Amino acid sequence: MILFALVIAAAVLLLVTGFEMFLVLGVPALMVKQFFYGALPDPVIVQKVVGGINHSTLLAIPFFILAAELMGDGQIARRLTDLMKALLGHRRGGIGYTVIGGSMAFGSVSGSAPATVAAMGRMVYPDMSAAGFRDKFSLGLIASSAETALLIPPSITLIIYGWMTGASVARLFVAGIAAGVVLGLVFAILVAIETRRSGIEAGERTSWRERLAAFRHAGWALGMPVIILGGIYSGAFTPTEAAAASVVYAIFVESVVFRTLTWQGLFAITERAALSTAVIFVLLALGGLLSYFITLAQVPNQILGFIDAVDAGPLVFLLVVNVAFLIAGMFIDPNSALLILVPPLYPVATAMGIDPIHFGMIVTLNISVGMITPPFGLDLFVASSTLGKPVITIISGIWPFVAANLVALAIITYVPPISTFLPNLVFG
Amino acid sequence: MQTALAILRIAERTALVTIFLAMVGLYFANVLVRTSGSAFASDLAWIEEAVRLMNVYLVFLALGLALERGRHVAVDTWRNSIAEATRLPLRRIIDAVGFVFAIYLVWIGYKMAGFVFGTGQRSPTLGLPMGWIYVAPTIGFALLALRYGLSFAGVVDRFEVKAVEP
Repeated sequence: MILFALVIAAAVLLLVTGFEMFLVLGVPALMVKQFFYGALPDPVIVQKVVGGINHSTLLAIPFFILAAELMGDGQIARRLTDLMKALLGHRRGGIGYTVIGGSMAFGSVSGSAPATVAAMGRMVYPDMSAAGFRDKFSLGLIASSAETALLIPPSITLIIYGWMTGASVARLFVAGIAAGVVLGLVFAILVAIETRRSGIEAGERTSWRERLAAFRHAGWALGMPVIILGGIYSGAFTPTEAAAASVVYAIFVESVVFRTLTWQGLFAITERAALSTAVIFVLLALGGLLSYFITLAQVPNQILGFIDAVDAGPLVFLLVVNVAFLIAGMFIDPNSALLILVPPLYPVATAMGIDPIHFGMIVTLNISVGMITPPFGLDLFVASSTLGKPVITIISGIWPFVAANLVALAIITYVPPISTFLPNLVFG
Repeated sequence: MQTALAILRIAERTALVTIFLAMVGLYFANVLVRTSGSAFASDLAWIEEAVRLMNVYLVFLALGLALERGRHVAVDTWRNSIAEATRLPLRRIIDAVGFVFAIYLVWIGYKMAGFVFGTGQRSPTLGLPMGWIYVAPTIGFALLALRYGLSFAGVVDRFEVKAVEP
């Protein structure tokens, strides 16, 4: 027991003193190995570390990262956002809806919330101020809308969850659309309220001719969601195959059609994507080691035993899950939060009869709420650095969105069909 | 010293980009052949395994460079204030722990690779000796240990470089 407390204390100490996250996962894992499983040969560690990342499902991650970098740097993401603007911009407070729709569109080709904050911040923020939105509302909206990227496929968080639990990534992707839409609608309600409060006028009406032009302008860019979503849902591609195809498509469109991608550009983008990949995978590798020991130590069984003893039902368990992930999401990155909390909690959830896809939605939404929750939510800092605003200004506008998020979280947690209806409809 | 480092960086970057683009090319070719229903499809079963192996190399070869560029995830919110309050050389402590950790993984990676090469085990579709997969973490953690060591010695400043992109 003392040794176990020592391991936990070491992990917390490494975390708060700013050690690299892979050390926060790796060093305690090595301690557990020394203290409790000393008889295991050391090379087992390397086997688990490599085994943690040598998996076909995970190949979708480097491919989707590379595709997202290509599209974000080039024209595809921009044109998809322009289309959203043409479709939504004329409504009262339309630019606010554009931020939500644009984030979802960008999320449908990327998979990273920080990348979405950066892109939306650059593209739409000036328009929001011009339309008369209060600055802190605009900043809060941009930072929080980006969370939809975690739910709207392709989502790296969902791929990792699928790989960890064995849940179908294709099903998770379909469920993610529904959950993402719920989140988008909740934010849209806030925009509607804010529009009335600040007396924002409707913009000029976009003519059908202009809308048609916007569709044409976005033509090649629209091919991207078609490949990714259409390919997966029709059963033509596995998620990994769709990811590889999306990279080839992005290179083709950006270099041949739009002529914006050069060889130097391709080299630089690929290198950047390689580093982003390594940063995630080293966490997966050492997280794999940690979760191996969590399983060996039968932590899930102990949690189940505890829940039985206090006679808590699934509803109470889910509330505990919500709180645990929310706190984790406030301090650490989404991937580490998954790696630490899913191995002990997922077996408990399935033992209680909670649907794996539903649990995935709860977990992902929870993490995304953590990303905008002050004082340490990651997206707050990304928004601050890309928009050149002090973090404190962004925090002052974020609270209504945190509240709205918690409402969405409650809806998704306690209404399981939102998560399970679409996957069952598509895949039977 | 700086020249050697510059050469190492170019080698790392070139290897990463080449491996990554080759992964895309191979995997996409595999998809094309499979969806076309061609009889070649079963001949290309090795691609899946090759791309996974390349991905393992991609990840480990990038570890050192990612550290040098300040790309690895860390909760650095309190790092400076804790260092000031406790008057501990926290950055050097982190570098030292990271160095020891990486060296330990190099050592067990090396032992594991040697052991698996010794068994003569070969991969199912490529027919490659299985030990190769454990060479990747051995090299990768060595590159990481080098960066931790250089940062400890003050040759590279990995804490002040802020990642340019999110």
